[in-house]
Amino acid sequence: MAEWFRTFRQGIAIENPLTVLMIGLCATLAVSTQLKNAVFMGLAVVFVITMSNVLVSVFRKHIPSEVRIPIFIVVIASFVTIVDLVMKAFVPSVYQVLGIWIPLIVVNCMILGRAEAFAYNNRPLLSIADGMGMGTGFWLVMVILAAIRELFGTGKIVWFGSTLIALPSGYEPPSLLLLFPGAFLVFGFMIAGSRWLNERSQARAEARACRR
Amino acid sequence: MSTVSQFALLFIGGALINNILLTRFIGLCPFFGVSGNMETSMGMSFAVVFVMMMASTATWVVWEFVLAPLGVGEFLYIPAFILIIASLVQFVEMYLRKASPVLYRAMGIFLPLITTNCAVLATATESAKPGFFKLNIAVGASLSLGQALIYTLGVSVGFGFALITFAALRERLELAGVPRLFKGTPIAFITAGLLSLAYVGFSGWFGL
Repeated sequence: MAEWFRTFRQGIAIENPLTVLMIGLCATLAVSTQLKNAVFMGLAVVFVITMSNVLVSVFRKHIPSEVRIPIFIVVIASFVTIVDLVMKAFVPSVYQVLGIWIPLIVVNCMILGRAEAFAYNNRPLLSIADGMGMGTGFWLVMVILAAIRELFGTGKIVWFGSTLIALPSGYEPPSLLLLFPGAFLVFGFMIAGSRWLNERSQARAEARACRR
Repeated sequence: MSTVSQFALLFIGGALINNILLTRFIGLCPFFGVSGNMETSMGMSFAVVFVMMMASTATWVVWEFVLAPLGVGEFLYIPAFILIIASLVQFVEMYLRKASPVLYRAMGIFLPLITTNCAVLATATESAKPGFFKLNIAVGASLSLGQALIYTLGVSVGFGFALITFAALRERLELAGVPRLFKGTPIAFITAGLLSLAYVGFSGWFGL
């Protein structure tokens, strides 16, 4: 169980797919204009990565290594199709905005990468932890990025028509944050920030080790 | 609208107004992955032009003559397109290795990478099954093969142009004094932000 949680936590912080490994960037930057879209996109990715990790891991002994990549892609593509149709049916307003990003989850390097690097060599239970950890790490960074961009770019955060948080009325939002350069700029600062956090926690761990 | 101006619109729309890297954020992995070096980004750009053209042709044909007539396109297009692209790239790689060693050496290592490049899947999907990028304002509900190819050429040239510009910027950035925490990728992102600021100027041209 301890191993399970360690694998889960690794995906969120030390091996965060977005700020540390830098994979699966495209969707994050494009979708993060609104908190609502980022939340649903992140959920779709968590679902696909967990399910594909489980399936790949369960059948890992039966998948010949020569054709493993096409097999992984087909597995991922089937789960993405499920997400595609479910979202179209139940949250059409979000689906309209996400558009091409749903089919593009197939080629999100993060999902294929985890199937190849983790699920293909590990037990199903651990693969679930890895998928959920990586997915949650992805989701968290994307939601934070979207919250920053929506809050400071429009002055308020809107969730299906109701305003969650609003800045004081004198605030004049710079629309630059909502346009595409805003995503690059904010994300650059976020990587620097996560580097600082990781360095600090490493330094603390070392200091603790010295004291013993 | 005459055919020529429609083609020009598709090309410019794909290359500049809807630049796939800097305004659509599609295909960012190679944008940050191989842009550290001018030569590799050149090789990558040519490989992308080559693969995108072939992928769009293949998906357009399959959509038009197989998926759409059978009525299974809505739920089979994702696995079908990605499999077409993956196997196509594999065949191209094998053929190039045998037929043209020079070309293979120039872009061989990039070919497998391109399989999972979202830019290729996005462009091929858009050519065969338009609707995601609001192209239909310009040309109507579906593209002919010629329009699809011109659009793909525009997108891939735009991709190469942005990639090479960014590689040049990053080579210069190596020599700049950057705060420690921002060295490497963070400053690359901020530079990309400034570069994409230039592309904001194109948005809204011709109502695209």
